[in-house]
Amino acid sequence: MHRLLLVGFYGLLTALATGLGAVPFLFVKKISGRSVALANALAAGLMLGASFGLLAEGSRHGAVQTIVGSYAGLLFVLLAHRWIGHDDVSFGDVTGAGARRMLLIVLVMTVHSFSEGVAVGAAFGGGTELAFLITVAIAVHNIPEGLAISAVLRPEGTSVAGCAWWSIFSSLPQPLMAVPAYLLVETVQPALPYGIGFAAGAMVFMVFLELLPEAFEDAPRWMIGLLTSSSMTLMLLFQRIL
Amino acid sequence: MQPALLTLFASGAAASAAALGVLPLVGRERVPQAWIGWSNALAGGMMFGTAFALGAVGGAPAWPAAAGAIVGILFIVWTHAVTGTEDLDLNRLDETGPEYGYRVALIQSLHAGSEGVAIGAAMAVGLPFGLFTATTMAVHNIPEVTVLAAVQRSRRMSLAECALLGVATNVPQVFVAVATYAVVSAAPPMLPWALGLATGMLANLVLVDLLPESYRQAGHTSIALVASAALTVVALLMGWIV
Repeated sequence: MHRLLLVGFYGLLTALATGLGAVPFLFVKKISGRSVALANALAAGLMLGASFGLLAEGSRHGAVQTIVGSYAGLLFVLLAHRWIGHDDVSFGDVTGAGARRMLLIVLVMTVHSFSEGVAVGAAFGGGTELAFLITVAIAVHNIPEGLAISAVLRPEGTSVAGCAWWSIFSSLPQPLMAVPAYLLVETVQPALPYGIGFAAGAMVFMVFLELLPEAFEDAPRWMIGLLTSSSMTLMLLFQRIL
Repeated sequence: MQPALLTLFASGAAASAAALGVLPLVGRERVPQAWIGWSNALAGGMMFGTAFALGAVGGAPAWPAAAGAIVGILFIVWTHAVTGTEDLDLNRLDETGPEYGYRVALIQSLHAGSEGVAIGAAMAVGLPFGLFTATTMAVHNIPEVTVLAAVQRSRRMSLAECALLGVATNVPQVFVAVATYAVVSAAPPMLPWALGLATGMLANLVLVDLLPESYRQAGHTSIALVASAALTVVALLMGWIV
């Protein structure tokens, strides 16, 4: 029972981290596209490093199952994107916001939080250290997400507290999904590599589908390369130390 | 067979495999732009997967590998800056003057050198891991040369010449692989450094050279799919072999 609470708590932490994205708006009215791009690049590296931890753990329980799981995770993110017509929304773009756009961005973020919740839960199946790393990676990745949401809502007149709330709201599926995902991989042991693979596939795909292309649009390549590969190295180092 | 000789053969085979990259161009003057994007994404995904695996086997303690990775990342930033290739569009099919061809070949050699470090260091980790790394690099060289050949074909170079040029740009891979192997087997404490160096260089090269343009040419979704699928499979198989 204690462990189940811990899973929910870690999931909640990642959700609360999203609210931090609203903090810069206490000081500024608008935020530059480049800042969002660099934040995304940083998050991309952490997510890549963390998903490698997942892949390594998964291969210990079954490489083939992990691959199957990772492709399922990839497919899930792809379908979620298709379903909500994500192509219309650009995260870093802070102009031209409207009611539909506001709704859309919150919806987009909420839907893709599902797979992040699964990631936290499945990672617990691989041990607390792994779960801790995944939680840190996802929490950091959530901050620019909150930043993106706030960047759309704030110019429309939403209060900073409101921005923080909607940011956190968009990540609430994380604690909600983490617990059942953990229960699944714990009770049905053979599901573990599939679950871990799912989380890794979803995270890697999100990096290549959203974080990197958006980052490349608003900052020079070398900065993105430097930031992403350095933060990935840092994450790999952490995993080796833990 | 002597491991050093084996390293020579393995990296030589990997460089020669590059010639196969002209196959998609047989019977056609130019390939659709999207193919170029997908080729880059495939090559990039495999490179990233390799970077992951090399980072994971870095050996204890972890810090030399991390320091090596940072050196590798900075080295790539520096080389791009010095050669003025940090914003080079590798996928251009029009306006391809001799100067452009020269720069593409230069970048290709830089990639080949980094891959050589990867093969040499992996060989020192162990034979199965080394051979798998060489195989991955061989397969990866094929789409990489497809891109090079597509550019050269639009300058009316013959297929045979394209194949030859493809192999020639990959020759540094052989020299660097053997040299790396020689250094780390003579001084084993250098191994984590070499593994880290390869990790940092490969990851940064993918981010700076391969991904940005391919997004523009084939669309975010298909590039993300190709890159993530290639990355997860390679990282998993390599992690599993280790």
